Amino acid sequence: MFKSLDNKLKKSLMALGLGAAIAASGLANAGQFNIGTTATPEEIAGWDIDIRPDGMGLPEGQGTVEAGEEQYEALCATCHGLFGEGEGRWPVLAGGQDTLTEERPTKTVGSYWPYASTLYDYIRRAMPFTAPRSLSDQQVYDITAYVLYLNEIVDEDFVLTKDNLATIEMPNQDNFFVDPRPDVKNTRCMKNCADPKKLQIAGTLRGITPVGHFVEGADAPAASHDAQMEQEHNKEKVRKASLKGEEVTSSNGGGASALSESATAGQSTYDGACKVCHGSGLTGSPKIGDIDAWAGRIKQGMPVLVEHAIKGFTGDTGVMPPKGGRVDLSDKQVEDAVAYMVESSR
Amino acid sequence: MSKIIKGPSTRELMAQMVQESEHLSINDRRDFLRKGVAAAAGMAATTIAGSSIASEVNKANLPPNEPAWGKQLGHGVVEHPYGSPSKFENHVVRRTVPWLTADSIASISMTPLQDLKGIITPNGLVFERYHGGVPQIPVEEHRLIIHGLVERPIIFTMEDLMRFPSVSEIKFIECPANGGMEWKGAQMEALQFTHGMLSCCEWTGVPLKVLLEEAGVKPEGKWILAEGADGSHMSRSIPIEKALEDTLVVYAQNGEMLRPEQGYPLRLLNPGWEGNTSIKWLRRLEVGDKPWYHREETSKYTDLMPDGRARKFTFVQETNSVITSPCPEKPMVKPGFVEIEGLAWSGRGKIKQVDISFDGGVTWVPAKLKGLVLDKALTRFSLVTKWDGQPWLLQSRSIDETGYVQPTLSQLRKVRGGNSIYHKNSIHTWKVAPTGEVTNVQIT
Ligand code: HEC
Ligand code: HEC
Repeated sequence: MFKSLDNKLKKSLMALGLGAAIAASGLANAGQFNIGTTATPEEIAGWDIDIRPDGMGLPEGQGTVEAGEEQYEALCATCHGLFGEGEGRWPVLAGGQDTLTEERPTKTVGSYWPYASTLYDYIRRAMPFTAPRSLSDQQVYDITAYVLYLNEIVDEDFVLTKDNLATIEMPNQDNFFVDPRPDVKNTRCMKNCADPKKLQIAGTLRGITPVGHFVEGADAPAASHDAQMEQEHNKEKVRKASLKGEEVTSSNGGGASALSESATAGQSTYDGACKVCHGSGLTGSPKIGDIDAWAGRIKQGMPVLVEHAIKGFTGDTGVMPPKGGRVDLSDKQVEDAVAYMVESSR
Repeated sequence: MSKIIKGPSTRELMAQMVQESEHLSINDRRDFLRKGVAAAAGMAATTIAGSSIASEVNKANLPPNEPAWGKQLGHGVVEHPYGSPSKFENHVVRRTVPWLTADSIASISMTPLQDLKGIITPNGLVFERYHGGVPQIPVEEHRLIIHGLVERPIIFTMEDLMRFPSVSEIKFIECPANGGMEWKGAQMEALQFTHGMLSCCEWTGVPLKVLLEEAGVKPEGKWILAEGADGSHMSRSIPIEKALEDTLVVYAQNGEMLRPEQGYPLRLLNPGWEGNTSIKWLRRLEVGDKPWYHREETSKYTDLMPDGRARKFTFVQETNSVITSPCPEKPMVKPGFVEIEGLAWSGRGKIKQVDISFDGGVTWVPAKLKGLVLDKALTRFSLVTKWDGQPWLLQSRSIDETGYVQPTLSQLRKVRGGNSIYHKNSIHTWKVAPTGEVTNVQIT
């Protein structure tokens, strides 16, 4: 029965001429399937953002170290440090010259990167981290010039242009070579392959691996960023309570169900728009779950907090940008995110 | 076992070596503190969670009793329109080491290799690597543009792409930094963290060659820039030879559309090459005559050598292997028969052979490859033996079809030093203690 169906199918395909079309389809001819639409120059231009070492792809324009300084300090320094030294674990952008052969090399734009074009390209495609593709071509020229200046590759009165970017010589540019692997040759030895008396065995560094899932009672880091935060939050709660002489059984993850409707709705906005700062306390922001940092703020009441979050706010510890830099968010979304943050920080 | 380590002299030597190694891990103070505690308590410091589960067994559900679930009904169809694993398997999840990265948005998580069977990684457990978090892309709004040195620049919708004849292939994908924390010493106390930046799926999509032919690559076209649509717009230069050989543009994994974490709705897949080149959320392919030298192929994913120079375009993931059972998360349960199992893979083709050593690489015995042995796919190996409580220094060593033999750590370090971060594919060692506890050690 199936066989006859098969045959029927074949016959009808043949009748449609499809069998012949499939048989004739060599892969040599371009456009054999005729699928997809021809992309227009405008469509391509909007997405074609890449720059090459020879300068291909650079837009019209120029930028100065001077103009770059101000923008770098406003948009980049919170993570990368005023001098490119990197805050906390955020990437270091400058310095590290002559460290590449050291025990702990510092790989930066100045000490490691082979081409200046990569810097323009990367800032344009991915930075600032919290708001990618938000800079104008002009801003990228300015900031690129400034980061090169921080690395002592250009002078303070340097003007970076479409034409001179490809001519900038990076200190480490000649020190890359193409993969030579396979570079080691082991052989398939089966017996007496090593002298057992000479074997050196070194154990694992303890206490830095998240092992809580298989070692009971391990005092180890958590296995996710969120869990780590919760762990710290709970420890803090217990510590606070014990100072007051109260007894608290640390609630492990029980908090989530106690959230209000607004807070629950706000979690995804928080994750997408606020966590990048408030998740780690970046740029002086009150860290979510940090009871002390939030206590005073919460006393101001929700309306004030929400207004500060929507309109932006400069306090004693830093700058809260309007809507966290995400002007596309609705006021309601921001309000819900604030509710989530507040309820997670009491 | 006695077949493998002959004579009491080697055995005694092993026991002595393992005992001595206790004192060699002097690189961390906490280690000593712990040992002090353990010694004071006069017992092993660690209890494996698995055994506590066993102690919670309710005898009323065991023979000869009729268990509770045999005396009632379960839920009906479509209670869970998209099913999930048994709640008793909730420990089988991706995990990360939070201190590795400044935040969770540009970060990495690892696959729980210790819990997996066969060679396929379930979609929800494939390791994650993001540089700007996971975008949520409506499938009907996703576009792929192919342009540059082509006869006809094309813009594809997902519907367009899914009209092409499709192929399905099982391939591993591995982050070149897998194991990279261990160049200078053993750092991670679990398999998930030493080797978990590794997964293997059946991927479905269109060979990139077919799409390039559709656009018509000009003769000068030698490199392709692949770019993602997410906030990091991750970009890599791929040589045209690879693109024409086996690169795929995929939209499905293990039978369903890609997970958002894996690039929904579209990603590149460069079989056998470092995972970073398999751009997710793929939106653009530009054909050019030279590489672009973008951030991910200069600042990152270049391998720093001891002389201060660096290797570039280190694409291939060379042969590697690891024993997944036993491992720190799955210690030896009891003396008697035991199946030693593990995974081997090579970015250069098929696995030809895997050998196992019980004595830290002095003596080797061949293991058996089981199940499918596929090109650039995880390959499972196995060796059934007996354990009677003696200490082991367990290692696996893979050989691929090019004849390349997985190197020792000393061999790698001798050429590459300790700062190259990527491509550490050396033979791995698990120390099996008489208690059954399994720990990560390095032998030099
Ligand atoms: C919120 C923190 C943050 C801010 C603000 C920020 N960056 Fe970054 N930057 C990062 C992170 C995180 C990475 C690494 C991303 C990754 O690995 O994918 C990075 C990477 C970089 C790198 C590459 C570093 C390397 O060694 O590869 C450069 C260059 C850079 N940023 C420049 C900038 C500039 C210029 C600005 C301002 C316009 C800026 N960043 C603003 C977080 C930030
Ligand atoms: C670029 C980093 C950054 C991002 C992103 C960010 N914040 Fe903030 N936020 C801050 C800083 C810094 C402060 C502290 C300002 C001060 O008090 O000096 C702050 C303070 C706040 C406060 C307390 C204001 C007060 O009156 O004390 C709220 C509420 C808040 N942010 C909500 C949000 C919400 C909601 C989002 C996401 C939509 C968000 N933030 C995103 C940096 C950020």
